[in-house]
Formats: sequence, C-alpha cells, structure tokens
Amino acid sequence: MIDLNERFSEKRNFFNRLIFVYVFFGVLFLYLIYKTFSLQISSYSDYEIASLENKTREFLVQPRRGIIYDRNGEIIVNNKPSYNMILDPENVDDINELIFEINKFVNLSDAEIKNINNIFPNKKKLNREVVLKRNLTTEEIAKFEVRNYRFPNIQIAERYSRENLYPFLFSHSVGYVGNLDEEKLQEILSSQNLESNETIFTYSNGFLNGKTGIEYVYDEQLRGLFGKKIYEVDASGRLLQEKQMIPAVAGEDIFTSLDLPSQKVAYDELNNRRGAVVAVDINDGSIVTYVSSPSFSVNKIANGLTQNEFDELINDDDKPFFDRAAQGRYSPASTIKPAIGLFGIDKDILDWEYTIQDPGFFILPEDGRIYRGWKKGGHGEINLKDAIIESSNTFFFSLAYQTEIEELRAHLSNFGFGKNVCDDCFMPDNGLLPSPRWKMNTHNFGWFKGDTVNVGVGQGYINATPIQLAYYSAFLATKGNINKFSFVQDSKNANKNIFNSKNITNMDWDNIHESMVGVIESPKGTAGRLRSLKDYVIAAKSGTVELVSTETKEDYQIIRETEGKRDHAIIIAFAPMPNPKYAISVVIENGESGGSVAGPVAVAVLNSLVKND
Amino acid sequence: MINFKNFIKDKIYIDLYLFISITLLSIMGLVFLYSASQGNIETIIKQSFFVIFGLFLMFIVSQPDPDFYKNNSAIFLIFSLVLVLVTFFFGKEVNGARRWLDLGLFTLQTSEIIKVALPVFLAAYLYDKPLPINLFNTFTTLVLILLIVNLVRIQPDLGTSLVILIAGLYILFLAGLSWRFIGISSGIFILSLPFIWNNFLEPFQRQRILTLLDPNADPFGSGWNITQSKIAIGSGGLQGKGYQMGSQAHLDFLPETETDFIFSVIAEEFGFIGVCILLSIFLFILLRCLYLAFDARDRFCRLTIGGLSLLFLSTVFINLSMVVGIIPVVGMPLPFISKGGSSLLSFYIAFGIIISMATHKKLMQK
Repeated sequence: MIDLNERFSEKRNFFNRLIFVYVFFGVLFLYLIYKTFSLQISSYSDYEIASLENKTREFLVQPRRGIIYDRNGEIIVNNKPSYNMILDPENVDDINELIFEINKFVNLSDAEIKNINNIFPNKKKLNREVVLKRNLTTEEIAKFEVRNYRFPNIQIAERYSRENLYPFLFSHSVGYVGNLDEEKLQEILSSQNLESNETIFTYSNGFLNGKTGIEYVYDEQLRGLFGKKIYEVDASGRLLQEKQMIPAVAGEDIFTSLDLPSQKVAYDELNNRRGAVVAVDINDGSIVTYVSSPSFSVNKIANGLTQNEFDELINDDDKPFFDRAAQGRYSPASTIKPAIGLFGIDKDILDWEYTIQDPGFFILPEDGRIYRGWKKGGHGEINLKDAIIESSNTFFFSLAYQTEIEELRAHLSNFGFGKNVCDDCFMPDNGLLPSPRWKMNTHNFGWFKGDTVNVGVGQGYINATPIQLAYYSAFLATKGNINKFSFVQDSKNANKNIFNSKNITNMDWDNIHESMVGVIESPKGTAGRLRSLKDYVIAAKSGTVELVSTETKEDYQIIRETEGKRDHAIIIAFAPMPNPKYAISVVIENGESGGSVAGPVAVAVLNSLVKND
Repeated sequence: MINFKNFIKDKIYIDLYLFISITLLSIMGLVFLYSASQGNIETIIKQSFFVIFGLFLMFIVSQPDPDFYKNNSAIFLIFSLVLVLVTFFFGKEVNGARRWLDLGLFTLQTSEIIKVALPVFLAAYLYDKPLPINLFNTFTTLVLILLIVNLVRIQPDLGTSLVILIAGLYILFLAGLSWRFIGISSGIFILSLPFIWNNFLEPFQRQRILTLLDPNADPFGSGWNITQSKIAIGSGGLQGKGYQMGSQAHLDFLPETETDFIFSVIAEEFGFIGVCILLSIFLFILLRCLYLAFDARDRFCRLTIGGLSLLFLSTVFINLSMVVGIIPVVGMPLPFISKGGSSLLSFYIAFGIIISMATHKKLMQK
C-alpha cells in the first residue's frame, strides 16, 4: 500500500501524463481538422471536379456527313442506311436462350453467335449495347417487327454507310472516304475541344474521312461536328443514366457544279480508254465535267476491297487510280497555236495580214535542223488565221523562232500553263512550262533556240494537265477573263484572272475565235469531221501529241504497232459560238487523232451541256 | 413512494452527459449508415438491434461497483483470451482471416473484447504498485501485452492488435512508467524500424504504407482507396452534397463505406459543417472522460477511465487519419458510427465501465 504523500504525487503524476496525451492528440486533431479543411474548403473545386469526372462518362457522337449534289440537285453521294439488331443487355440473364429464340426467325451464323457470347458478359457488366446482327434484310426486319413485343430489350438501329450513287462516274472528282487514322482523329477532336472517347457511331464502318477528291478537299465542311453524350456511371464503368446530350451537327451538304448528264456522256464516250475530259462553265470557272478514265468503284474502296481486288486495281496497266485530269501531263501540241498567235500579235511580230510561205518544214538557221509539219508539201502562202485552221507547223515554228523564251513563258503563264488553275482540285499537277534554268537544272543542258521553236507548236518540254488545257480553252473563250476553277463555285470569292494587253484588241480575240470555229467549220479545218455531229457552232483546236518523233508517215506506221507509242489525241473547244458558255479539253492517250478521236468525245459532252441548258 | 428521485439517484448509476452524447452519436450513426449502406434496411435493423442492446449493456455494466471489476479483471481477461483461442481454432474464416466466432444470432469478433478486458486488468494489476513502476512489473506487463497483441495479429487483424497494444501501453504509461524507460525503448524501437519493416510486415502492409506516401503513384491500384476517399471528402465542400446524394459513396467509388470509410461518406454528404458537428460530439465525450478521470475516486478508477478513454480517442483518431490520408489504411471502425456489432458492443461496455468508475465515488464518501 502507498502512503498519502505518495498518493498525492501519484495523482499529480497521473494527471500530468493524461493531459500530456490529450494535448498530444489535441495537436494531432488540429492537424486532422486542418487536413479536412484543406480537402473540403481549400481544394474543394479540385475534388468537386474529380468527383464529377469520376461519375460521368463522355461518349462522342459521330456526326452524319454532308450529302454531295450535282449542279442540278441530283444526289451523287448519300448516306445509305443499314439496319442492325441491337440488344440492351441490362435485363438479359440468359443470352443463349435469347439467341435460340432469335435464331428461329433471323438466322445467326455460328461466328455471330460465338462473337455475341464472347462480348456479352462484359457488355452486360458495363451496360453497353450488343450488336446481334448487322445489315438486316427487309425480310428480317419485318420478321422481327411482328415479334418485337416478345423482345423488349432488342431494337433495330440505323447505321449508315457512305454510298456514291454513280460509283464509277465520280471516282476522281468526288473521290472516296476511308477510315480515319488516329492522328487525324485527334486533330479533329482537339479542334472541337473534345477528347478521344468511346463513340456512338453513325456509320457502320466507324470513323470516316475523305481520302481523295471533293470528299477530301471539303472534308471539314462535310464532316460536321461531333456531339457528346454524357452518362452517369458507377465505379465499374457501368452506365446508369444519360445526363446530358449535345447532339452531333451533321456536315454541310456540298452543292457541286458537276453535271451528272454530261459526266455520264463523258464517261460513256471515253469508254474505258485511257484519257480525261474536263469541261467548265466559263462564266464562273465552275467545273461541270470531270472524268478520268479508266475508273474504279469508289463504293468498293470505301466499304472495303478484298486484297485481290485491290491488287488488281493497283497492278492494272491502265492505272485506274491515277487521276489523269489533274495529274496527267500531256504536251498541248497544236492546241497551243492560238496562244502563240496571240503572242505574235501582242509583241507586234505579226498582224492578221502577215503571211509566210509554208513549204512543209522549217529550217532552224542556227544549225540547219529541219522541223516538219504534218502536211507534205506544206500549206503554201498562209496567214495566222489559216495557220490555226489548217494547223500549219511551219507558221508557228517561224513565229516562235522570233520570240524570247522568257517572254513567251510569261505570256503562256497567263493562259494557265505551268501553274495551278484550280482552287479545290485534289492534288493537281502544275504541268511544265519550261525555262532555260529548268533545263539546265534538270537536263544539264543549255536552252537551244530549237527548244523555243518546239514550244511554238506545243511539243518538246512543255506539258499540261487536262485541267490546265480546259483552263486555257476557257481563257480563250472568255477573251482572257476567267475565274480560277472550282468544283463549288462561289462567284463572290472567285479568283478572277483578267488578262490585259494593250496590243490585243477585241478584234484580235474575235479573229482567234473565228479561226477556231474554222477548225471545224472551214473545209480546210483539221476537225471538219465534227461538223455533222452537232447543230450549233463550236470553236476548237485539235492536237496530236507525238510521243516518238518520226520523219515520215511510213516510219510512224512502224511505231504505231506498239499501242503505247501511238500519238495522244487532244482537243480543246468552247461553245456555243458566238457566245460561248462551256469550254472543254479532252485527252485520249494513244488516240492518235485529236480531231477525229478526241473531237467526237468533246462534241458529245458539249452537246449534252449545251442541250440541257 | 418514499422519494423516487432520491432512489434513482442512490441506486442507479448513470452519467447523463456521456449517456446522452453516446446515444446521440449512435442515432446519428444509424442515419449515416443508412446512406452508406445504400439504404439497406436489413443492415439498419441489425445495427439498431446492436445499438439498443449496447445502450442497455452500457447501463447494466455501469451498475456494479468498480471493485467488482477490480477483483474480477483476471477472470474477464482469461475469459476473453479463451474466446480468442476458440476463435483461432473454430472461428469463421472470411477473406483468409479468422476473427469471428459464430454465435448463431450474430458473429462476434472476439478480439474486440480483449480491447476492453486488457486495460481493466492492467489497471487492476498496476494500481497499487509503487511509483515509478519497477523494471520487473514493466517487463511482466509488456510481455503480457505483446503476447496478446501477437495472438490477435496472427488472426490476422492488424488494426485491432494495434489498438490493443496502444491500450495496454496507455495504462502502463498512465500508471507511471519511468520516463527513462520510455526514452530508451523508444530509441530501440526507432532503431529497429527497418528490421520490423523487413520481417514483421506483410507485403500488402508495406504497400499500404508506401501508398500513403504517394497515393498518386498507382491511383487505380493500391492508391484507389485513399484517392477515392479524398475525392469524397473534398467534394463534400462546406455544406456537403446532401443526405444520400454522395456520388462517391453511392456509385461505388468509395470502398468499405459502411465500415472503415464511413467518415468519407459523412464528409461527402454533410460537408465540413457536418464533420465539425460530428467531431465536436466526439470531443465532448473525450473532455467529459478527462473530467471524470480527474474526479475519479481512486487510482484504479483513474487508470481505467484514462486508459479506456484514450483507447476510444485512439480508435477515432486512427480511423479519421486513415480516411483523410494521414496514416496508412488499417482496418479500423469509427466508434458508434461504423457497421459492426462487436466493435460497437465493446465500446458500450468500455463506456459502461467508465460510468461505473465515475459514479460510484459517492458511495465511498458515505
């Protein structure tokens, strides 16, 4: 037993120690309160956001792409609905029994059943829809609809696929869509301040974007804006209820200037020959016809080709993927002659009275080299107008001989050569307007006078795409007042190219038009065969692109044994005269005669355009 | 009816401050638990039964004279040890741990009883020992504590064993353990920390400690609980999201909402204001205990009140520190709030004993 004194000190000792512990915990409690305070008050907004992010899940909603129309309001590219059978798994316990019941009227393949069984448990856990069957036939839909009261958890959902109604006609102009790659998707989403998330797809093929043509160039307008659906979720990611819906904004429809009837005519006339047709409305530079041949089915590309089909297209010698209209490089050949003639007038080298003697060839004074015309014996005494109508080479050889290449280049550049003439074409080639510097860099040779002489007849180094030739044609038709080309012309924004020259008068332009009308209408015209194919007046200039230079007709007969060495047929034209509305260029590879091979195609397309107006 | 009021005063031992505040806490606990259990009626009925039974038990336990506890403390300790041993061999295994004894009506977590029995026994053992406690008594006590702690630890039940250890050490400390001994043993303990880390902690326990230091290192793995708890508390803000409106709790982001993390649910739904109200009730109980300890009739009562109130304080503190991320996650309920009958009953008993110690002094004076 302890005595009273000790008891007293024990009591004090006990109190001290108890207080000590209480104070110790008191301090800790203060820290605890401070910690709670900092969580709940100081950092409240951070944690509020974290809590909100925890319980919400965002879904992207894929927008519907815009529809692409031709200039008459005909649909070219549409969104074709397909129907999928969708299961809401939330209240389904026995998936096999459900499959068994469905299988009685809609046949599910073993692979489909296996797939459903694989994905079902997880989909049920997370409360995500299960696709039971894709692309239902109308019969299957009907069979389901009469029984749907028995399947409250199943519904038919609409999904789209991108469909070109004329899969071969617009392959190169409208182009096609394909799967969006991850990087591009991120770019699109971040432009909308969105993040990559689970997506509610509108298209059965998933994310789409334009790969070529108008689908590519106008992708931003066509694609629309992604929408957002916000769900409340629990910790396991299971969807509980929809909280918010920001609907996707469908893409803008694109009303192109393309003209379906003329497009059909051009495609049929080309008939799978290698070549291209480009026609424009010269009032605003809008492209109405744009065909590269041979073609391919864009729908197959967009919806998945087999490897075999793909290899076949890729390995085809005729290169169906190649867009000849925008990327094919062809010498303009004799079609360039009106431009060269105008240069002569602009530089006061000649006037419409000026004549030369055409013996059928031109001898380059520097080295005595002979440049031949197409007609043996030549055209005799000939002026500019007849030189265009009869396509005298000698006349333009000697005219070009009197020019400086740099001046000639500057002149031809106005006509669209060597530059991009289209606002919204897909990957257009600029062709080639050669210069001495270009020749030195590329061929390591200086520029010869003979090179300039060759440019005078559109041969040699110069080449142009069918779009550029169509532009050149439109430039002649409008007397040098033409908009930059576009598939979707908005004349307010159009980039007008107005050609000014003190020396070239309206009369000069009229004479050029008259000469080009003569190419068809004059008895001596090189394209006289076209006269009977139409009942209005067309101005034209044909050309024959020599791929191999030959001295005589006999030599050419040997050359043409190989199809790939035959001359390209080429023609530019505009109509109806005297107030032209359309300009056109036609190239047919290895078609040999501009007037009689490319010509009928051009006339047929112009017929379609002029008659349908 | 001679004097009914006096009769009650003389024959019934009750501390109204503690009784009312604990009853209030218990009722609040039921309200919180209803939300934390996502409106599970069965849980609430069961818990209500424990609360009513517990309050009754607390009343019963506070009636005997402290001498009754002093004289029988060894029997109580041996009885509870037997229960633990029985659990060890015949207990119900849940998640690899044998902590529960199936009593038909409910399952008893037997280690919870030791939590109370040990401090009472130690107080009874040490109350008449001269000051400072000599080395022999210190060691005897320590060995006993460590034996019992280890018995619970291997169940395994880290949380409860920790509380038992703390409760035992409090009594030793309050009884007058020499400061020199405290200094030396703390030094040894700190030096042996790496050894304990390597040899006594399970990998998951080490992970919990590491997680505490940097919960963001693995927010979806071991840091999940702490991260989600902090989000729940933080997003409660000043006023809370409203009763049963806590998304963290109701959408399953928060783990163990009915037991360990019930404070997070309260903080989420009632905000900082709710937290302050709850903590002030705890604080009131603790300060009342402090007063009662000062006022106790003898050393045994002082030690017991002090030890049991510190046991309560530590449990509350460990639970709160855990959910706000100050200390690692250990299984520790919030007294009178969390679901779980055994822990609830043990605290009712503890407070029953405290009330008995505090109220019987008057009789002595007579």
